[in-house]
Parts: sequence; C-alpha cells; structure tokens
Amino acid sequence: MSQQASEREVTMSRAMVDAIATEMRENDEVFYMGEDVADYGGIFDSTQGLLDEFGHDRVMDVPISETAYIGAATGAAMEGMRPIAELMFTDFLGVCFDQIYNAMAKHTYMSGGQVSVPMVLTTAVGGTYNDAAQHSQTLYGTFAHLPGMKVVVPSNARDAKGLMHAAIRDDDPVVYMFHKRLMGLGWMPAPEGPKTAVPEEDYEVPIGEAEVKREGADVSIVTLGLHVHRALAAAETLADDGVDAEVIDLRSLVPLDREAILDSVRKTGRLVVVDEDYHSFGLTGEISALATERAWDDLEAPPERVASPDVPIPYSRPLEQEFLADSEDIADAANRVTE
Amino acid sequence: MLTADTMRDLYDDVVTARYYEERLQEEYLEGKQPAFDISAGPIPGELHLAAGHEAAGAGVCAHLRDDDTVTAPHRPHHVAIAKGVDLEKMTAEIFGRETGLCSGKGGHMHLYDPDVNFACSGIIAQGCPPAVGAGLAAKKRNTDAVAVSYLGEGAIDQGGFFESLNFAAVHDLPVVFVVEDNDWAISMPQERVTDVENAADRAGGFDLPGERVEFDDVCAVYEAAEDAVGRARSGNGPTLLSVQVHRRMGHFMGDAEAYRPDEDVERAQNLDCIPRLEDDLRQAGVSDDELMEIREAAEQRVDDAIEWAKDQPEPAPEATYEDVFSNPPQGRPMAAEQGGDE
Amino acid sequence: MTDVDPASVWPEDADDVDEAVVANWFVRDGASVEEGETVAEIQIEKVSVDVPAPASGTIARLVEESGEFRRGDAIARID
Repeated sequence: MSQQASEREVTMSRAMVDAIATEMRENDEVFYMGEDVADYGGIFDSTQGLLDEFGHDRVMDVPISETAYIGAATGAAMEGMRPIAELMFTDFLGVCFDQIYNAMAKHTYMSGGQVSVPMVLTTAVGGTYNDAAQHSQTLYGTFAHLPGMKVVVPSNARDAKGLMHAAIRDDDPVVYMFHKRLMGLGWMPAPEGPKTAVPEEDYEVPIGEAEVKREGADVSIVTLGLHVHRALAAAETLADDGVDAEVIDLRSLVPLDREAILDSVRKTGRLVVVDEDYHSFGLTGEISALATERAWDDLEAPPERVASPDVPIPYSRPLEQEFLADSEDIADAANRVTE
Repeated sequence: MLTADTMRDLYDDVVTARYYEERLQEEYLEGKQPAFDISAGPIPGELHLAAGHEAAGAGVCAHLRDDDTVTAPHRPHHVAIAKGVDLEKMTAEIFGRETGLCSGKGGHMHLYDPDVNFACSGIIAQGCPPAVGAGLAAKKRNTDAVAVSYLGEGAIDQGGFFESLNFAAVHDLPVVFVVEDNDWAISMPQERVTDVENAADRAGGFDLPGERVEFDDVCAVYEAAEDAVGRARSGNGPTLLSVQVHRRMGHFMGDAEAYRPDEDVERAQNLDCIPRLEDDLRQAGVSDDELMEIREAAEQRVDDAIEWAKDQPEPAPEATYEDVFSNPPQGRPMAAEQGGDE
Repeated sequence: MTDVDPASVWPEDADDVDEAVVANWFVRDGASVEEGETVAEIQIEKVSVDVPAPASGTIARLVEESGEFRRGDAIARID
C-alpha cells in the first residue's frame, strides 16, 4: 500500500471511473445515463472504458433530453435503484433545472421522509479553455443554495474516487461536480496536483469533510476544485514573502464543514475565500459570513473574497484571464489581509 | 430546374462556406501539434465546423431578407454566411478580437449580427423559442417577416423544440424549423436515441406541415424552403423542414470520432452537395471556367477576412466588465470590490 | 533491459503520424512495474492510448510528462 501510494498515480477521471466500475460490479442496480457516455466514454472521460465491461444497458447514451433522463434517474432512484445521471456541462442545467431542484432535491422532504432519492448527478464544471458563457460556469453556489442536494467537488484523484463511492452509496441525491481542467485529459492538460496516488481498494471520503491541504499560521485560504491548486501555488509564493498560508479544500459544499473553516480562521485570524463561481450571493459570501458570525473575535482583518466577477464568462483569452482568479490574485488577497 | 442565376448565388454561398471551414480548420490546428491541446493556437475554445452542412444554409437562407430572423445552433458558420453576416467581423469574433461581431465576448458559438437578424447559441434547441418570438413579433406588428430556427437532428428530442412547435402552430406564426440531420449527435447515432427516422415526422403531432429533403442537394433544399418560407410569409403558419446533411469534420475539432464506423466517415465524404450542384450548374450551361471564377473569388474573400481578423487587436482586459447591461447602473457595475478596478 | 516503445499501441488512425506526446505518466520514475500494467497514456494528434509495460522491473522514464517523442523512440526503460 505505501509502496503503491508512492509509485503509482492516476488521473482524476480514471479514479472516478474506478469507483463507478466497482460500484456497478457490486450492485446491479447502479447504472449510468448521459449524453455521449457510452461509445465516447464521456466528453471529459468520465465514463471511459465502462461500456466495454457493462454494455449499453447499464452505460446508457440518452437522447438530448435532460429533463427526461435526469427526471427518469430521479424516478428510478425513488424505486430504489442507484442511477448516476450526467449533465454534460453544468451550464446545461438551464434546460432541466425543474427536475433537479423542484423534484430530485425536494421529494424526501415533501414526502415527510417517506421517499429517498439515492442518485448521483455528475456534471462537468469550469473554464480556463475559452469555451465562453454557456460552457464554462462552475455554478457551485446555485446547487449548494437550494436545499435537499448534497454537493461535492473533488480536487484530486484520491478524493474523486472516495467521494464517488460515498456519493453512490448515499441515500440522498448527490451532485458530483468535476472540474474539466483537473481530469487529466490529453487535450486539456491538468496542472500539477490532481493526479495522485489512489488506493486500489475501495474507500469513502466522507461527504461533508474538508481537508487541510497545507498547514499555516498567518492566513486561511478556503477554496475548492481547480482553485485548490492555484491556492497551493499562491501559498508557495506567499511563503517566500514570509506569509504562512493554510489552504483548506472544502471538498463538500453540502454539508459544509463549518468547523474545519472556523478552526482554521480561529488559528490564523485571517481569511481569504476563493471561488471560481460568481462573486455575489455565493460561496465567498457564505463563508465570509460564517467567519464574521462565529469567529468575529478571532478575526484580525475583514475577510477577502476572490471570485469571478458578476459578468457572464467572456470568450476571448485576455478577457477570460481577467475573469478567472489565478494564483497571483489569491496571493494579492492574502497579502492584503496580512498587511 | 432553378435558373442559372439562382444556382450561381447558391454556389457562391456553399463554396464560400466550405472554404471558410477548411481555412478555419487549418488556423485552429496551428499550434495544436503533435498533441491536440484545446488551449493552444490562434483560435480560442471549441470549434464546431459545418463542412457538409452547406446545402441547408444556402438553400433556406436564399429566400430570406435582412429583416427575417435566423437562430442557429453551435455549428453556425454556413448559416451565418448564407444569411449575410459580416464575414470579417464574424472571423474576428472567432479569433477573439476586439473588432469581432461581439467584441470578443461571444465566440464561435455565440455570434450575433443584429444588422441581418442573426444569432446562434451553444445550447441544444435553445434557438427554437426565440425564433417563435421573432415570428410572434412579426405577426403582432403585421409585417411579412419570417423567422427560421436551425437545429440538429439530436435537438428534436429536446423539450424546448416540442414546446416551440406547439406554440408556433397554435398561433400560426411565420416560423420555419430547419432540422439539419447529419445522423450524429456527437457520438450518438440517431437510432440509439430517437425512434423517429425522419425528423419531419415530428410535425404530425402538432398539426403542421413536415417536409423532408432526403439528400443534401442544394437545389432540392431551395425548392422545399421556397414553399416553407412562402407559407410563413403569406400568413399560413409554420413548417418543419428536415434536410439530410453530412458531418465531414467531426463534432468538434479534436473529435477523433473513434465511435464512428469508417464506412460512415467515407459516406459523408462522398455524399457532397458541392459536386452535385456543379453538375446542375453545368447542365444549366454554366462553364467550368465560370465555376472556377466563383470559387476563386469566394476563396479570396475568405482569405482576406481571415487575414484582416488576425491583424485585429485583442480586447483590453477592462472590457470584461462592460456590456453586462445595456443600461448599466452607474457605469462599470460592481467592479471595484471584485478586483476589476484595482 | 526492455524499452517501453509505444509503437506497439500506435493507433491505426494515426499511421501516418510520427510525433506524439506523453499525456500522463501513471508511475513515478523508479517505480517497480509489472508486465502488462498501464504505465502511461500517450496522445497522437487527437487520439489517446494507454501504454502497457512490456516487462516487469524498475522503470526509468525517458520522456517527461507533456513531453514530445517520435514514433520508434522509447519513452522509458525497464530494468
């Protein structure tokens, strides 16, 4: 195990597929539905190789009918099956949001707990490759805002596998948001970091547990997804300037590991929240509010928020670069709160 | 048989569109060798090229005026060219330049040219309801303008399409829905996801005319569209038109099409609307020299547009914060606290 | 000593292409590998393929991740 951990590394997509395949082998009631998930193997390799082992009955290409197949996954889950439905780009939720937030997320509560919806909704998120306003959003806040869905966002292969096992086994609907730039695609090279050693046996990363990726004493940088890696890069720069940053990978948005955030903020007294999603009414505001409400006395500076501005995502390269926060933006914010 | 003049115009459109896609393919792949990297090269983002779809663009748009509306999907260039979208500005937009149609904000899937009432979108079937809206506006204002919504055969399973057909039908709106049937929704062959072979059959359930053009034959599309657009313009309501086309360059650049049988790829290369139209033109007495002249002029236009576009400046980063609203609240909205003003 | 030469997995579609890139290494330099185990993913134009270890032993990587190589080049050696 330890030798394996040090010598072998897999991409996030392969780790994700590994967990899905294991669950499908062990439970006939697990199946995968989505556009281009069978012969193509998922546009972002989210199902690469599954068709060969499980066939078209369990790895189902579906019509371009998100309302129908995501709603159908909900219905099959209410029958007790464990479907995984893939929304190819999270932006496409616009065509099927009713089935997600008025149905999938609410059946359990509206039925007074009589009904459960044990399904996973996988979806690709994120920019960095100039796909413009309709194919680059993260929308973390949108899903996390609406009650009734658990929401997870892996930043590396180890978490991708463990969160997928946990998501499929969970009796509630889990939205599993994977960042395209982290998957390890040949045509969209990942930064350093998401490819990790992954235990061969199955394991769960508990939904609702954040992870301290780097310990530090001066400032807490709280983030998720792609920006975990940008925050870690920023922390290296900050260290050179004598600022010791702690980096927290949220991994889950619902439930949110509030204690992990508060523990860190109480220790460092300073908070930077980093999000690829829009600035207003979202994650950065939520976590800043948490810190000011519950750790006010420990804060030595107002929290800083580093997020995407409230504009649709522009196409042109210099505009998208301006739009997306990079490690320099994160380091600047950390410098501001520690000044 | 169409007149030679009509066919010359159609030919001009289809060869312009084909050459445009070939040139964009070259430009797009620059810097993406030996391994394909979506973030490299002069053209940003994804690129969905429409080589093999030209008959549907030219044959329908030949009947349209500037005040008629067209909504196109993510594979829009051939339709844009046929509708008369400014070629230079469109190209600059595809290259992400400041002087592009949309100042570099939209990109190849989000081209807007209000001068000729053209728009496109990256979400499947998203253009259907706005086309219905354009038809509704024409009806309310008592104009004879029409609207055309282009969509792929994969889009005929999308709810927005069904709802649009019904809305257009019940109000007798001047809308033509044009399905470009290339048999593939990315990797999904039509028979795996749709139990209807002929997309025009979808019309039956909504009590509107459905017509099918079986081969990507520019003249046949022209004739079918003449009826459909004519019906719309004369107040006789919507039509669903399905046109067989072929996908010659994959779903997007970078699509290795491993899922697609070799025979099908070969078929798409052989079933080409351009030689067919050339045969028709020759029969109408147009010489090969004249065809070559039309082609060369088209190629020159495309080369000039690409050269012009590549010379254009990229937008300044500050432009990111402009255009969110037509009536922005107190200048640049909300930029200061978001890093935009620092 | 055995060369890890991806020529054996070169896709038919890319028969006329000689340049490729190592898209992903799945084993660290110096790892012990087993014959048949996938050690890397290479990309030739648009096509990605997995490269298996031709023998068991200790691997020495010759091409770095995202690095280019030519058909016929060994991307690693196994001792």
